[in-house]
Amino acid sequence: MTAVPEENAVTTVAEEKLAQREAIEESGWGQPFRFVQLDNVAFWVYVLGVGGGALTMVRTYLPGVAFYTPALAGGVVLFGLYLIPWLLLLRHHNRFTAQPARLLATGFVWGGVAATFWIALPANTALLSIWAKLGGTTFADDWGAGLSAPINEEFGKALGLVLLIGLAPRLVRSAYDGFIIGAFIGLGFQVSEDVLYVYNGASQQYGVNQLGSSLQVFVVRGATGIVSHALFSAIFCAGLMWVLGRSGERNVVRGVLTMLMAMVFHFAWDDTTGLSGGTWLGAVLPFVIAAIELTALFYVLRHAARQERTWMRELLGPEVDNGVVDPALLDAVSGLRKDRKKYRKHVHSRAKARHRIEAASDLAREIALAGGAESAGVKHARSEVLRVRTG
Amino acid sequence: MATGTGQVPRDWVPVEHRLFGLDRRTFAAGFTALGIALVLIYGPQVLNAAIPWHNEIRAGEVLDLGDGGTAVPPVGWQLEKGTLTGEGAASATNLDVVLASGGATIEMDGAAFEGSANAFLDQVIQSEGDEPGMTSARGSVTTDAGLVGVVESSTGPSGDTVDVAFKMAVGTAEATDAAPALLVRVRTAAGQFERYQDEVAAMIRSISPGVAR
Repeated sequence: MTAVPEENAVTTVAEEKLAQREAIEESGWGQPFRFVQLDNVAFWVYVLGVGGGALTMVRTYLPGVAFYTPALAGGVVLFGLYLIPWLLLLRHHNRFTAQPARLLATGFVWGGVAATFWIALPANTALLSIWAKLGGTTFADDWGAGLSAPINEEFGKALGLVLLIGLAPRLVRSAYDGFIIGAFIGLGFQVSEDVLYVYNGASQQYGVNQLGSSLQVFVVRGATGIVSHALFSAIFCAGLMWVLGRSGERNVVRGVLTMLMAMVFHFAWDDTTGLSGGTWLGAVLPFVIAAIELTALFYVLRHAARQERTWMRELLGPEVDNGVVDPALLDAVSGLRKDRKKYRKHVHSRAKARHRIEAASDLAREIALAGGAESAGVKHARSEVLRVRTG
Repeated sequence: MATGTGQVPRDWVPVEHRLFGLDRRTFAAGFTALGIALVLIYGPQVLNAAIPWHNEIRAGEVLDLGDGGTAVPPVGWQLEKGTLTGEGAASATNLDVVLASGGATIEMDGAAFEGSANAFLDQVIQSEGDEPGMTSARGSVTTDAGLVGVVESSTGPSGDTVDVAFKMAVGTAEATDAAPALLVRVRTAAGQFERYQDEVAAMIRSISPGVAR
């Protein structure tokens, strides 16, 4: 090993520290999220949207809430349980410069109340009527949903991301931020729409066998929901962030194509019956579409994570220099699934690898919270990394 | 000269960025979102109101009620929802047909219901709760194909309503109880039902459960 002259070593450390500060500044990691901002127009538009949506929600459910209690309760409980694995999955993906839970909850509520009841419900009703007028009722039955929802629902959900940019401009920076926030907005929309479907299904049958009807909707919507709004919005919002280029990774062509891809997926999801023409394809097509959508989702995720991974490397750079984090661990904590898998092989232990990656991730978060300075949190997190590395 | 402390409160808005107490730097995101939301909400509604219906029922056209069931809709009415025979596949237990003419509408809803037509109409009324207005005594109506329906009319502040409930089968009580249910609901402005009575009666008489039943 060649000895580094002391002066050069000092310069390298200073550069690493500067890169760390820049990564903290650019990513906005560690910034608190404040929802109530009375001088912020985005806050008032958010309140208007959620308020308008809540009003429509009350008008929709209130007249039948007493009679349809079994269906509604069944729908809320079943889809509430359905949310749990989704939240765990999205929490797992909320890595790198993770978004605060309150910001994600704000997005979730926009998707579940404003995008659904303030925007999508009146827009879809009008658009379905337009398609029936222009193409006839059979055309509207076959294609109306797919020609309406991808437009108003995708843009309606993405408005939640735009408002969150207005509410937390320093926190919502990268395509990966768009991906994660979009997934939460989409999940809120999905669950809210599912409960509405349970209610509509029960009222279509005039309240006969309400629990059976809600269970039926749960099975169908739950299964098809694996590749639905959360996925569409994650892709669409990542695309929107590429168009906006808020972290210097602007790519309008890629962004627009990604947004269009999400809309095409949404169209295919809504109009499977029309696409299959009522043939045997109807049984196969959903699986083919799901496979394509999941492949595209991971492709977008990989590309969207690039900027965040760079920030993570820059954030922990000085910790590599001082020997707290070794290069292999840095690769794993700033890497994708394959990098973490490689690290597991490297340390010959799944548990050790997981503990070290989490400890390094905690250290990165504490450094960001302290703005790159030394703090009690940073010191403790650093000692934890050293403990699990030597343990 | 006074100097600052160097610590700017996080939510501090410099005076040159304020307008009517709002931070002008938040205008772009806020007003863009508001503008797009209003276009998404009201754009389709304005367009829908501007486009007239051109889906008139022509002589000889027949409504598909699912499972082979059919009805002959009144000529000249607009088909706003539903499927004509030969155009697609309707579901008897998930049927949604809407015909409109002037201020009158005929809605036909299919549902899965175990029991008689009378019990089905009870279920419909129970599910919708009490509405203000006067309700007539129930009567029965028989279609040309032999389907026996239960009819109930009511009048209230929102207009006149006639509900006719059918079980889409003829034959034994077991067969009719197990068959899909059909609700035909006619709504007109108050006192206007007589204007449409002949057309509605002709359509109801034409309802057939299909050859399969």
